[in-house]
Amino acid sequence: MGLYLFNMPHRDVQNTKTDFSLTSSALVAEYLTDQNAANEKYLAADGESKILEVSGTVSKISENFNGQKVVLLKDQSDKAGVSATFTEETAEQVSAIQVGQTIRIKGVIRSGATYDQDLGLYENVILEKSAIVK
Amino acid sequence: MKTKVFLTTALFLLVTATTFAQNSEKLVSSNTHIRFFSTTPAEDIEANNYTSTGALTKTSGEVVFSVPMQGFEFEKRLMQKHFNNKDFLDTQEFPRARFVGKITNLDAVDFSKDGTYNANVEGEMTIKGKTNPVKESGTVTVKGNTAQVKSVFGITLADYGITFVKGKPSSNIAKTVEVTLVADFTEE
Repeated sequence: MGLYLFNMPHRDVQNTKTDFSLTSSALVAEYLTDQNAANEKYLAADGESKILEVSGTVSKISENFNGQKVVLLKDQSDKAGVSATFTEETAEQVSAIQVGQTIRIKGVIRSGATYDQDLGLYENVILEKSAIVK
Repeated sequence: MKTKVFLTTALFLLVTATTFAQNSEKLVSSNTHIRFFSTTPAEDIEANNYTSTGALTKTSGEVVFSVPMQGFEFEKRLMQKHFNNKDFLDTQEFPRARFVGKITNLDAVDFSKDGTYNANVEGEMTIKGKTNPVKESGTVTVKGNTAQVKSVFGITLADYGITFVKGKPSSNIAKTVEVTLVADFTEE
């Protein structure tokens, strides 16, 4: 039993039920209105936070230090967006999309949007283990 | 009429130039890697995070990092759950760690010339709601309008109220963990 727990595999985000479906604008607005309430709603105490399906306009496609594809969903009128990191398995989906396209992404939320005074920047919502939902 | 057009143009150019000057003073980073590494005779534990945001102001040397704590990924699921829970980092209550500081030897870092410069940084680190003064060093590699920042430093967990008195964590997690930071900065 102890060994089983020790070797317990990570949660398979893509094969776990979606908790909330919403637009990138709505999610960002929820965070910018009341960060604490949004954290309470979306973040779990053990780090296995809510699984979201977020739809929005692709505004940037990049790659991180881990070689993973990162897609930013952000409407032009919004101050922050939703940054979604794809996995090795789902990276290929990203090559088929373009900036300006409207898509829906499923992933696990890691942190919310906020205006950080010290940074002088709006931080995006972060999703990881992402995949495009048809 | 001609004077008016001239003045309007001049004003426009001035405003544009000022805006550009302000923008290029500040570099931002959304491509970051923060790794923490703990080693004890019992085991080595590593976690990686690619989700942080940084800002670097060339003229003042101000450096800021915001680190989403739930972005740390461990090889073992159970370790990741422990890391996040109330007794360890309590990431639901304290979703971000942050560093706000300044490069103290700014004369030694030439942002207008490509090269790698040693930088000393002093500032405040906040983890799990507790803030401590820190003094670290690292490198800034300037290439054109971009800069890559690298640093390796230690964090003593007890300084941030993270302590273990019994059980596996007390023997398997180092008192001081090693943190490695790499961040690519570009113009906004």
